[in-house]
Amino acid sequence: MNVAVLLKQTPDTESVIRIASDGKSVVTDDLKWVVNPYDEFAVEAALRLKEKHGGSVTVISCGPQRVVESIRTALAMGADTGVLIDDPALEGSDSLGVAMALAAAVKEINPDVVLCGSRAVDYDMAQRGPMVAELLGWPHLAMAVSMESDGKTVTIDRPIEGGKVVLESSLPAVVTFGGSHAVWNPRYASLPGIMKAKKKPLAVKKLADLGVDGSQAGTARVTMTSLEMPVARAAGKVIDGGLDTAGKATELVRALHEEAKVI
Amino acid sequence: MASKFAGRRNLDFLLYEVHDIEGLFSLSYFEDHSRQTCDLAIDTAMKLARNLLYPYFKEMDEREPVFEEGQVKVHPIVKTMMKQWGEGGWLSSSLPFEVGGQQLPVAVHMACSHLFGAANFPATGYSGLTTGAAHLILSHGTDEMKDMYIPKMLAGLWQGTMAMTEPQAGSSLSDLASRATPTGRGYYKIRGQKIFISAGDHDGVENVVHMMLAKIDGGPPGVKGISLFLVPKKRPEADGTLEPNDVTATTVYHKLGYRGCPITQLSFGDGDSCRGYLVGEPHRGLSYMFQMMNEARLGVGMQAASIASAAYYASLEYAAQRLQGRKLSSKDPSLPQVPIIEHPDIRRMLFFQRAITEGSLSLLLQCALYADLARAGDVRDRERYELLLDLLTPVAKSYPSENGILSVSQGLQILGGYGYCREFPLEQYYRDIRIHAIHEGTTGIQGMDLLGRKVMMKSGRALEFFAGEVQKAIGEAEAFEELKPYCTRLQEALEKCRAATMHRLTFAMKGQMEIFLADATLYLELFGILAVAWQWLLQAVAASKGLRDDCSDRNKNFYKGKLHTMKYYFHYEVVKIQGLAARLLESDALMVEMDNSLFDD
Ligand SMILES: Cc1cc2nc3c(=O)[nH]c(=O)nc-3n(C[C@H](O)[C@H](O)[C@H](O)COP(=O)(O)OP(=O)(O)OC[C@H]3O[C@@H](n4cnc5c(N)ncnc54)[C@H](O)[C@@H]3O)c2cc1C
Repeated sequence: MNVAVLLKQTPDTESVIRIASDGKSVVTDDLKWVVNPYDEFAVEAALRLKEKHGGSVTVISCGPQRVVESIRTALAMGADTGVLIDDPALEGSDSLGVAMALAAAVKEINPDVVLCGSRAVDYDMAQRGPMVAELLGWPHLAMAVSMESDGKTVTIDRPIEGGKVVLESSLPAVVTFGGSHAVWNPRYASLPGIMKAKKKPLAVKKLADLGVDGSQAGTARVTMTSLEMPVARAAGKVIDGGLDTAGKATELVRALHEEAKVI
Repeated sequence: MASKFAGRRNLDFLLYEVHDIEGLFSLSYFEDHSRQTCDLAIDTAMKLARNLLYPYFKEMDEREPVFEEGQVKVHPIVKTMMKQWGEGGWLSSSLPFEVGGQQLPVAVHMACSHLFGAANFPATGYSGLTTGAAHLILSHGTDEMKDMYIPKMLAGLWQGTMAMTEPQAGSSLSDLASRATPTGRGYYKIRGQKIFISAGDHDGVENVVHMMLAKIDGGPPGVKGISLFLVPKKRPEADGTLEPNDVTATTVYHKLGYRGCPITQLSFGDGDSCRGYLVGEPHRGLSYMFQMMNEARLGVGMQAASIASAAYYASLEYAAQRLQGRKLSSKDPSLPQVPIIEHPDIRRMLFFQRAITEGSLSLLLQCALYADLARAGDVRDRERYELLLDLLTPVAKSYPSENGILSVSQGLQILGGYGYCREFPLEQYYRDIRIHAIHEGTTGIQGMDLLGRKVMMKSGRALEFFAGEVQKAIGEAEAFEELKPYCTRLQEALEKCRAATMHRLTFAMKGQMEIFLADATLYLELFGILAVAWQWLLQAVAASKGLRDDCSDRNKNFYKGKLHTMKYYFHYEVVKIQGLAARLLESDALMVEMDNSLFDD
């Protein structure tokens, strides 16, 4: 069974994020980059499929040269080959442009199934999986917390309010992953895996190599207009301890009504 | 628990900017490595540290090992950890490719073990000993031993130990009493008692492989009669089954800290059927064991620095949040209280922690680099690297251990009363770190090793090489105006150390050995401050270069923080050399020429 995993490189969730002076991008100079955790779940799921059915796992990613490091991480976990689409035309693009590039790369390898995270921990667009499925004309099973396949169909579980839903589709299909680290428990790269990853094939491609029109994929239809940090939490307020209980209650009610405006 | 236990940016800085380990990748032994493989290894170590080790730091302390039905039982996660370390290749990371290792530079291996130790030091007892014991078999064992034991050990299925200490023979190994009787059948019959053996028995593994020191019947007395034996808890038979080998755990000790890992008392040969297999030549066991001990000493230093690191980040996080008091310049009680990090005394304690932690780490990575170069560097320089490593090993073991205790203590102080409570991690760090000044040779023993052996060996050449390295750092630092005053201070510290060395040696030359070594621990203390000052100057050079080259705001803060910590170290710590040198330059024999009746009261 041949599996393609779409992988995005995102800032480490423990990095300190700072907004750039343009107010709509983040300072990337000294960020630590990692594999988007949800995509890491997809890599884990892909490797489990490979263990069961044989075949190979290809990791496909878009972005600058630094993304190679994240692809190698997936190769060190056990994936077989990597494809990086590194094209300056994609720099100002949006989710659809990236999806066009990814879908074109998927078509080239023609896998049985495409796996990726349901979202990325940076901008939380949650668009990539559904868009790639649409561009491929394949079914899309979203937010899987478990996945089984007999090689012809794929079945997933998705938790819903108060229970779970089981979905099935024929292959080929696109599955996007939800859940958490504890659910997927993605394997750690091993040191021998890291040494082997160095020698695994990793192709770097331009949009033209994939037959994608750079002016189309590179044109953003959705643009980010601003980025803001959460409002800093205001200091708490302590009610004057000199008041008696009734006085304190009165003061609390007044503060909740007039200052916090919650009652 | 605090969110951070180790500084990744700091590790990169030390490895690549201060010690330039990328230089290693051009040596043929390391040619398969690159910054990319090393970064991936360190990133993965960080993940393991965060996800597998750190979550059990407290729990393993609370559920300490128990001795039940003749078996030591440990926290069940130990089994998972050993398996992960084994499967991931971590137990063999710096061993050569041909034995299934990854030939990683020792510096990178140490960087990874720093992350593991900062996340959960007691857990690293299991892995460190297994790697060390496997390496010892690899260096001196027979092919049969290598085939039979090493794969299981490196897979994390069998535990390795270092079985030296006996009730009457702790620091003084020449007094070992364990015996080995030749049988003429390829093995010796072993009898003896060992105490304090780390990970000496537990249920997280299938078998335990003891690297045991014992004396062959009729051999020469003292250290010249010590041999090294491989003594398995269970003997692997030809058909793959494991036979009991008459090794019994008799108790597990109850310790101040380091509770996640058991130390055991072991009895060998109670039933007269314990088989031991000689490793290497008879009577040369101690010299073989020194290989494992020297590696373990650097490992101990690294674990001390790692605990100090975790404590530092926990204190730093706390100090930024805890509101208490107001600035002396604005005592107005209607103003809100300030975070305690605003108080100069708290800042001093934080810088103390940081200076000790990062200075120790730098020294340890320096030693690791010498180990790598001694193995793979230019053959003409190898002896120099070996001598530097030999000289600095007792320093790199003791400085982080002794100063780590003080550093964690200051960290606990920053938390005030909360620091003393089990709800906060500082009290555990404080308990855990205390062992490092004791095991693998107490600080006293390290002091005597430094002054009594290392300084004198090869007519003092190691010391001359060391002085050369310090001088080289001073030369580099002089290119930066801001660093010049510290070059002068380091030069003075080096001179003080030279003078103290010469003065102590006059007693040795007169044959007054007791007086010569009476204050060896103080000498070690002085030497440690000097060595770490050298490392801080090297860090300052790297930070100054970073600032000179264009860099981002965050990097700027990082480099400036490095320079500030360096200054702290020279102004607050290096000055202590004056007092130590003053004492070492005196000629009395206060601790020697006295009678114990002076203790009567
Ligand atoms: C948690 C823990 C784990 C351990 N793990 C192991 C292990 O895995 N394997 C193993 O073999 N051992 C292990 N040990 C034993 C450890 O190495 C010894 O405890 C240590 O070497 C000191 O020996 P001792 O306890 O007999 O103290 P002693 O040797 O009795 O020393 C007591 C004091 O006297 C000083 N002293 C001793 N001799 C001299 C001298 N000649 N001159 C000046 N001062 C001297 C020492 O510095 C020390 O301060 C462990 C101990 C502990 C507590």
